[in-house]
Amino acid sequence: MTRSAHPRLNLAQTRWLAALLLCAQFPLWASVHAWVAVAGTGLVFLRLLPPLQRLGRSRLRGLLLPALAIVAALAIRAQFGYFLARDPCVDFLYLLVGIKFLEARTTRDGSLLVCLALFLAVTQFFYAQSVFAALIALPVVVTLGATLACLRSGAQASWRVELRQPVLLILQGVPLALMLFVLFPRLAGPLWGTPSDAGARTGLSERMAPGSISELSLSDAVAFRVAFVGPPPSPRDRYWRGPVLARFDGREWSALSRLKTGNLARREGPPIDYTVTLEPHGKLWLFALEHAVGLPHPASEDAALSGPVGDIAFLTYDQQLLARNVVTQSVQYAQRSALRARVPPVVGDASDNLRLPANNQRTAVFAHELRARVDSDRAYIDAVLGWFRSDPFVYTLTPPLLDRDPVDAFLFDTRRGFCEHYAGAFVVLLRAAGIPARVVTGYQGGEMSLDGDYMIVRQSDAHAWAEALLDGQWQRFDPTGAVAPSRVERGLGAALPAGEPVPYLARVEMTWLKSLRLHWDALNYQWQRGVVGFNTQRQRDLLRELGLDNARPVQLAVALACVALAWSLLVLGFSRVRGARVDPELALWSRVCRRLARAGLVRRPDEGPLDFSERAATRWPQWSTAIRDVGALYARLRYGPERGQRAALLAQLRSSVDALPGARRLRAQS
Amino acid sequence: MSTITAFPGWLAHWRQRLWRLAPDDRDPVVLRHSRIYILPTRRGLALMATLVIMLLASMNYALSLGFALSFVCAGMVAAALLATFRNLAGVAASPLVAGEAFSGGQLDFTLSLASGGRARTGIEVAPRDGPPVRVDLPAGATRPLRLAVAARRRGRQPLGRVTLASDFPLGLWRGWAYVHFPLTGSVYPVPEASPPPLPPGHLGSDARRAALAADAELAGLRDYQRGDAQNRIAWKAVARGAGWYTKLFDGAGGSGAVDLDWFELPQGLDEEQRLSRLAAWILAAERETRAFSLRLPGAELAQGQGAGHRRAALIALALHPNTGSA
Repeated sequence: MTRSAHPRLNLAQTRWLAALLLCAQFPLWASVHAWVAVAGTGLVFLRLLPPLQRLGRSRLRGLLLPALAIVAALAIRAQFGYFLARDPCVDFLYLLVGIKFLEARTTRDGSLLVCLALFLAVTQFFYAQSVFAALIALPVVVTLGATLACLRSGAQASWRVELRQPVLLILQGVPLALMLFVLFPRLAGPLWGTPSDAGARTGLSERMAPGSISELSLSDAVAFRVAFVGPPPSPRDRYWRGPVLARFDGREWSALSRLKTGNLARREGPPIDYTVTLEPHGKLWLFALEHAVGLPHPASEDAALSGPVGDIAFLTYDQQLLARNVVTQSVQYAQRSALRARVPPVVGDASDNLRLPANNQRTAVFAHELRARVDSDRAYIDAVLGWFRSDPFVYTLTPPLLDRDPVDAFLFDTRRGFCEHYAGAFVVLLRAAGIPARVVTGYQGGEMSLDGDYMIVRQSDAHAWAEALLDGQWQRFDPTGAVAPSRVERGLGAALPAGEPVPYLARVEMTWLKSLRLHWDALNYQWQRGVVGFNTQRQRDLLRELGLDNARPVQLAVALACVALAWSLLVLGFSRVRGARVDPELALWSRVCRRLARAGLVRRPDEGPLDFSERAATRWPQWSTAIRDVGALYARLRYGPERGQRAALLAQLRSSVDALPGARRLRAQS
Repeated sequence: MSTITAFPGWLAHWRQRLWRLAPDDRDPVVLRHSRIYILPTRRGLALMATLVIMLLASMNYALSLGFALSFVCAGMVAAALLATFRNLAGVAASPLVAGEAFSGGQLDFTLSLASGGRARTGIEVAPRDGPPVRVDLPAGATRPLRLAVAARRRGRQPLGRVTLASDFPLGLWRGWAYVHFPLTGSVYPVPEASPPPLPPGHLGSDARRAALAADAELAGLRDYQRGDAQNRIAWKAVARGAGWYTKLFDGAGGSGAVDLDWFELPQGLDEEQRLSRLAAWILAAERETRAFSLRLPGAELAQGQGAGHRRAALIALALHPNTGSA
């Protein structure tokens, strides 16, 4: 098929396409690079300028698309350093729709643009799936419908007229969309590759350098939410255990690359049961209140979903909970913990957690001297914590930069640091004194929601503390608590001096803003649970509630087909009722004609109302007046000039029709 | 037709039901689900492919809102399918007039399209070999619709199967239905381009001028009847508002009358050439307002005049059986 066979895009079609592209591009403005956003959107506007509306005729057109596309691809490659990944491709697509639009000439180009724009619209959900993201995608659907309608008709109608039909179609399609959303099978894992690039998300990492957690503390993003079965633990006990870091290279802490399974802690106090809804963080670990005394299992009781209960995660030798799969979608798991539990060491713990690199010698000397002065390990630890408490250490989000011997510099020179400085230095001090110790990262704290249903733990609650092997079990020590006790009691905002850049929600004051944000979070929580987090597991739960959990796929498909059929009948019937609106006099007249036909007198196609009523009147003389009235009134209403008396004439016609007897009686009388 | 009868009965029945190959539709045909076919257009297929790709991306990256967006669009596509069906269902088509044309010209057929209770948008009515006609119908309207078909060969030319199609509202689905009315038009032979002058009339060619002059003498008026030649209408009377009359001329049909006779044509002409010449002469006689009679092998037309007579003569030429003989 030749290109010229397709009709040219007219002005109205070009404008609708521009609107569609802009609607699809807009939500991505914050996610693509600034120059890509400006260039991609600029190209769309450029096409709307009068001189370029005629560009289609120039000879350059054929070269424009490939040339500009190659330039765009090279520029994006230069920006990212790679091309075949998700983010560069989104950037490229963003530019490509602009380039294609610039050279679009026929309605066939229009079809291609519609498809590209639609796909571009879905890419925004890589970056955000909030309520806002959903709302901002609605204009795309509406303009999509209007653009398609305009591409078909080429009409230059006003935008309101163009919008009416698509909006009606979208509304009619919503029940079907809902059903598909609920019943369409969801996958537990990705289809291809691993969307590892799906997670440049904020969250803890497997490395801790000075500054990494303080950076995280500036984020208000929700890490996870917890619903407790009983009362929540007191703020000082809310330690959510995450990655354990035992290797120190003199500057940076990292995890040991050993994935041995470990033993659960032995419970020594009452258990706490709760359900965690974890935001996707692109990593393996699951968070649990210290100390986990059971393995996490899916929050629904559906054991068939993920194998034997407890199989979604395992416990490592250093008491980390690791999921079997990378957490790329919101997961919900039930967990049991106990505040007091006995955590015995495993073989090799003592030696692994004593290693120190050769630098930070001042710290080593200090540790040896201090240990020599006291008679037990516990007394030494108390002495170190007392030193932190009494000496002028400052808890701050903006510590000075430390170079070669960061622990030395922090402990003896700057004395200003965040929790990772204190935890790291504390562990170094312990190891130097011969006590096995390691850094534990995770979250400390959590804020109850307004109605007290659940607890929100944010990235700003990220924390690092220490663990020492003392008296044959691992015990938690939080040196930050020694420096800034209020951090542990009341959160980050209370612990930091005034003037620090604390995230809004971590501040203690700002109550009205906080309450607004808490309301917003309650909405978001429902949204995350019900819509964004609607996964395989949630789908199973819903099907069970509907009594469909034992249905085979074939039965489900049949049910789906039946619902679709019912839907189409409903939509067709609905429009029949709406579409069949005819003039009232015509409806009355056809009613009379049908009745007379049933009684045996059929109107000939060429017979007018007067003739027919005359024929009927001679056949049924006893009702001749009413019959003649009906014919005459109908003829006057339908063909007569009286516009002003319609209502009165209609009323007369109605009463005359009512005066006529039913078909059975007419038949009996004839 | 013979190919159809070659099949067993049920197969022929289904072939007819699916493709409407034989002209068996009685008027009027109301389009219902049993006649309406719907398939996606190229644009519809492209959009559906995009939706599938969106769905795959949503699965891979577990994007619930991606699912939602895809499904809302899919819902719109499905609703558009129903709207396409609704736009065609209930349209009633009936045959009105089969036209006549000279071979090589354009043969007009007129159908009547009724919208039923609902407004119809962008209905495309296409005969098999002719340009489609697009029509919008408001609710409750009945419109005549003229389809132009190329008049190919002299003789009877059926309208054939007509396709009523629409891709309303979004251009994603094309719905269509076949109707096949037994409407047959007549195709006259092509008039010879430069025919020899009319054969001499009853009074001989010398008297032609005198006969024409005599024609000018008005003999009287009679009531106008449809089919009377326009140049015979008493326009002055019409202009006065006195009514419609046709002028009668003294000696009309007498002095200038010609006999157009197949058997008196030169021997060298073949069958079609003879018919062409006769057609040209019929037009010439009508132009000169001379009465004529027509004699063909197996058909004879008495002397007469006027549009009706002309049409009868041309149809006789059109229907002349093609024997292949000279």
